[in-house]
Amino acid sequence: MEYFSLKRSNAVDGGNFSLSSKVYVRSTKSGKVQKIVRELYLRQDIPCSSNLCRACLQIAPTDYSNKVAPFVLSDTPAGSKNFPSGQYLAPDTNAFLTGMDLFEVESAFHDVIVLQTVLEEVKNRSLPLYHRLIALTKNEGKRFYVFFNEFRQETHVQRAVGETINDRNDRAVRKAVQWYNQHIAAAVATRSKKSQRIPSVVMISDDRDNLKKSKAEGIPALTLSEFVSGLDNADELLDMISAAQERREVRTGKAEMFYPEYYSTSKMMTGVKAGTMHQGIFNVSPYNYLEGSVHVPAFDKSLLVLGRENSNRAVSGDVVVVEVLPKDQWKAPSTKIIEEETLNKNDNPEAEDGENVSSERERRALQEEVKRVHGQNAEGRPQPTARVVGIIKRNWRQYVGHIDRDSVRSSSKTSRQQQVVFLVPMDKRIPKIRLRTRQAGELLGQRVLATIDAWERDSRYPFGHFVRSLGELESKGAETEALLLEWDVQYRPFPKTVLDCLPAEGHDWKVPADLQNPGWRGRKDLRDLLVCSIDPPGCVDIDDALHARKLPNGNFEVGVHIADVSHFVKPNNAMDKEASQRGTTVYLVDKRIDMLPMLLGTDLCSLKPYVERYAFSVLWEITSDADIVSANFTKSVIRSREAFSYEQAQIRIDDAAQQDDLTNGMRTLMMLSKKLRQKRMDAGALNLASPEVKIQTESETSDPVDVQTKKALDTNSLVEEFMLLANISVAGKNYEAFPQTALLRRHAAPPKTNFEELSNQLKVKKGLELRTDSSKALADSLDLCIDSKEPFFNTLVRIMATRCMMSAEYFCSGTQAYPEFRHYGLASEIYTHFTSPIRRYADLEAHRQLAAAIDYESLDPSLHSKSKLEGVCKNINVRHRNAQMAGRASIEYYVGQALKGKDIVEEGFVMKIFSNGFVVFVPRFGIESLIRLRDLETPEPEAEFDAENYVLNVRGGVGRDVELFQKVQVRITDEKEESTGKRKVRLSLV
Amino acid sequence: MAPAMALQVSLSPAELSYLRATLSQTPPIRLDHTKGPRDFRSMRAEFDVLPGANGSARIALEDGLEALVGVKAEVQRSQWQPAPGQQEKALSVAAGDVNMAEADGEDDARTKGHNTWIELSIDVPGFRDDDPLPVFLASMLHETLVADGQLKDKLYINRRFHWKLYIDVLLSPPLSYPLALLSMATHLALLTTRLPALKSEKDEDPLFDDDWAASLPLYPNSGRDGRAVVDKPPVIVVALAVGDNIIFDPCKEELAVADAVLAVACTSSSSSSKGVQIVGMRTIDPPSHLTPPGIPNSMNSATGGTAPASSADALTQRELLASSGVWTPPRGGMKRALLGQVSKMVSEDGGIGEEVITALESIELG
Repeated sequence: MEYFSLKRSNAVDGGNFSLSSKVYVRSTKSGKVQKIVRELYLRQDIPCSSNLCRACLQIAPTDYSNKVAPFVLSDTPAGSKNFPSGQYLAPDTNAFLTGMDLFEVESAFHDVIVLQTVLEEVKNRSLPLYHRLIALTKNEGKRFYVFFNEFRQETHVQRAVGETINDRNDRAVRKAVQWYNQHIAAAVATRSKKSQRIPSVVMISDDRDNLKKSKAEGIPALTLSEFVSGLDNADELLDMISAAQERREVRTGKAEMFYPEYYSTSKMMTGVKAGTMHQGIFNVSPYNYLEGSVHVPAFDKSLLVLGRENSNRAVSGDVVVVEVLPKDQWKAPSTKIIEEETLNKNDNPEAEDGENVSSERERRALQEEVKRVHGQNAEGRPQPTARVVGIIKRNWRQYVGHIDRDSVRSSSKTSRQQQVVFLVPMDKRIPKIRLRTRQAGELLGQRVLATIDAWERDSRYPFGHFVRSLGELESKGAETEALLLEWDVQYRPFPKTVLDCLPAEGHDWKVPADLQNPGWRGRKDLRDLLVCSIDPPGCVDIDDALHARKLPNGNFEVGVHIADVSHFVKPNNAMDKEASQRGTTVYLVDKRIDMLPMLLGTDLCSLKPYVERYAFSVLWEITSDADIVSANFTKSVIRSREAFSYEQAQIRIDDAAQQDDLTNGMRTLMMLSKKLRQKRMDAGALNLASPEVKIQTESETSDPVDVQTKKALDTNSLVEEFMLLANISVAGKNYEAFPQTALLRRHAAPPKTNFEELSNQLKVKKGLELRTDSSKALADSLDLCIDSKEPFFNTLVRIMATRCMMSAEYFCSGTQAYPEFRHYGLASEIYTHFTSPIRRYADLEAHRQLAAAIDYESLDPSLHSKSKLEGVCKNINVRHRNAQMAGRASIEYYVGQALKGKDIVEEGFVMKIFSNGFVVFVPRFGIESLIRLRDLETPEPEAEFDAENYVLNVRGGVGRDVELFQKVQVRITDEKEESTGKRKVRLSLV
Repeated sequence: MAPAMALQVSLSPAELSYLRATLSQTPPIRLDHTKGPRDFRSMRAEFDVLPGANGSARIALEDGLEALVGVKAEVQRSQWQPAPGQQEKALSVAAGDVNMAEADGEDDARTKGHNTWIELSIDVPGFRDDDPLPVFLASMLHETLVADGQLKDKLYINRRFHWKLYIDVLLSPPLSYPLALLSMATHLALLTTRLPALKSEKDEDPLFDDDWAASLPLYPNSGRDGRAVVDKPPVIVVALAVGDNIIFDPCKEELAVADAVLAVACTSSSSSSKGVQIVGMRTIDPPSHLTPPGIPNSMNSATGGTAPASSADALTQRELLASSGVWTPPRGGMKRALLGQVSKMVSEDGGIGEEVITALESIELG
């Protein structure tokens, strides 16, 4: 009988096996555990990509146009002391993990071979680092080449029996380096008989074992620091090596642990599933760095995490697992301001002995807290507290801060001695970071970017490393970059791949004159309509334009025309991807960081006056009572007659002498918008307030000259009303067409508990009632919150009410039930963003969906997929919030600059009261600031805090009561904040 | 009972009679005359043939009968188990034969597993899922696998989770009685089955090492204390009796003349120091019952005999002619002594059971 085996045999390839497999276990989210076998087809046509090698050029696979991908590695790589004839670097995984910042340096680290084995290991260990590495490989100047060593027959390594994965990977790296060396030597030899410069391929690894083995095998290898020491600016570069690795080796014997150990992942998972532990994002209170809170799905209110020991090395933003503490450890949230620098001024970053998790002073501060809580009544009921038992995901990013002057031992600029210093992050919620640096003297007084590498149990503060210096503290460039970094705003110029997606005609692009042109397909010619745009002065990215005209039947035709961005930005190309990542345009006081390249944003898409532009139009028939008869959506071509600023438009409308059709159209719009607004208010839309100020800058230097609160004109609300109307109409249409995947925006009703404090404050202080059962009730009761003597009081309450609200969010319609679509603030059943596609990605997606809904074009598959849309929503929600925060931070910085050196007395209002300080809001500048008791007088005056009546009874020389909502005169000066290095306004009581 | 249809042999009564006569000689002469009564037919075996399965094996007989077995393991949530105090009650209901006193706490291992944690299905091309042959074979095999209680206990992860083992067998359309082959292939597959290594502790949601090389064999070769652990999955040996002779691993022609057929399930376990332990025994209805009887000349009118007037008459006549050499289908039944002899031959030190198990184990090594 002929016997055959089911197994594949290697004999077929004559022992030269071209097939290998990789076996591993995969655990899925649903708890399934699967054995996975991946087949590997080994090949010989993977090029070495060195420009020295001709053989690889012959065999390298070609693309569809029959071209070989250009080779990456230089034929004359830079040399060094050890390798004078040039070197290619082949870093091991640990080199990338500890020195990613080094590899990103422009001046060094060229011609790097990234082995597939290493790339995959980096991906497993740290996703953010992996993305950075990928970005590096795309950077042509750096000449990073990914060599797929696992797929190349000569460099593929089978795992030996009993070999750990780590050892196998190390062996694979060594094997690849060895092969490269032989290969390059052979390539040089064939190039010229006289062998001249043969570059070495150098492995860079911090793994001692690996180094030892490579030495034995005769493979050139160096540690990262050995290699860096041989470079020019070694001091700066050495600072950029992650601290995590080093520490592990340096501190071995020491056993004193400050923090409890984390639970094992499986224990946490079981606990979370069983409901005995909870998972959530760790947030630190901006007023008290020792108080964190974790919002978990199981409870309405957040769990408190008090003290360092309980927060157990969690850093604000981390995803943590917490365990609720026994009831006798529950506490009320703090009414006290605790700032890190006041308590721990004297910490020595070098000393680690005798360090306690809670320093004596910290402990005292906590005790006072406890005492206060115990003397509490129902108002400040102890709240459940919890402790962090493990971290699911670190959300460490790069932090901007400055070096704590007190922590620097020798500040001489010439000293190259390594010392450990503290970096005080700008974000007060982040603990001080220990940095090891050789350039402490130079870094003093600079904005410094650093990252956290590790936080071991035996260290009170996290350890990190220096990334780069942004420049002098308080210089405009450094501060602007700092806040962009802090809010994770992508501000690099658009890469070439994005710019390649722009129309080839550039600024000369025009709406085709020929109506047969494909660009006109499905477009309505609306060029004869009297369209105009109304925007803030100086606006260059004009998203929207309007028109209105009377119809023969007495009704009005109103049109909102939105820039047709989706015509220029096609789904899934590089520009679309970049825009979806940026999510929104970020407006700073003196700078705009665009979502789309300038050419589109300010020219081709922008509905500039007097030129023809593509638009996406919403046309309504509206009765004179502002009832909507019908709505129509169409792609169109328009020609805007004029671009007004709000003020110009207002003047023109008010000027009775102007009787042209355009002005009359605007008057119609004005009349209708007022009626629409009234209707919206009747339905229960909220009129909320947020402190908005405008900064006037000198046009040349953009130095701030003055600060003003923004004025609202009728024309502002004219535009707003019609934009809302357009958004609502489009939302309805998109939802009708795509009930599962419409991209919408919702604003959830705030939970009642959010308003508890405010309504209690109003009741106690002013005898007013705040009803929160519906948005209508809230709107009405907010209207009644008036203090006849204080006209600003109402606005103050509105500002405070706004802070109790949930934030609005984008979502995909399939993920929520219809009643949840509701926009609470606008009192609309359904809502989306449609009117600003130049500066918001959500609007662009809405455009695409609407275009598909009206059968203008087919919908891209990415917009059909609920999961993809959810991902988009998640990202733009974050980007949106960050953009707002960055904008605010920018204003704050400029307000500080405008007030620099000034001394003004203004009136302010007390917004929040603590037992050792209070927050005052100054409407004139839109600033709010904390006044601590110790700022009032030295020594800090005694004070009695009546939490029930929100009164702080200050004794001592000040001798006055401070109560909530009180109008106070404050002196505004500016100061440089010691903790963050920011120039900030400082208020003091007059 | 064995489904007859597939195993029907087309031998004439004379041939059957001849076969039976040779088999009942001392020593018996088998159809394959090179083999003695204890010899197994030659077969080919290999394991790890299905890379995606946790364990797999394939055994092919020379006559073309072939079985391919794949073992897949899946993590499953266990049903709520009552607290130790209540445990005995629930288990005595579930497992039926577990001794209440024994189940009480100390011997925890005995009570951990559950029969439903092992699912076995047999797929035979040309047969429906609910045809008697695959269903019967599957339930026989399953019964054997759970009989010793070892295997199911190995599947216990913690109080809340267990492994569920899916044993899938692909059998070529049977040319001879496939039970022994199936059992051996299953045995080999289980022997090579590996489960991912557990990383979590106690009753936590299980978390496993993602390194396949770290996975643990279901039947480890050596225990933690270095002592060879002889735990092996059960295997079924088929024996037949013809007269006083006992013949192992019969081919289908031999089955057609058997007086009785026995399936003996045995396992080697740490509790029995030598030989193997018998965990189950079943008699199988031999296909010989369905063979057509020969008609002796005395009953055949064509050869001068007289045809019996009634069926009762015919029976009486046949009874008298039982040892005349004319083929009469055996009427079943087996002597106690034979039964004892079979079980002794299987279970004794160096007996058939041990032979089979060591032979299968050495496949793994070789």
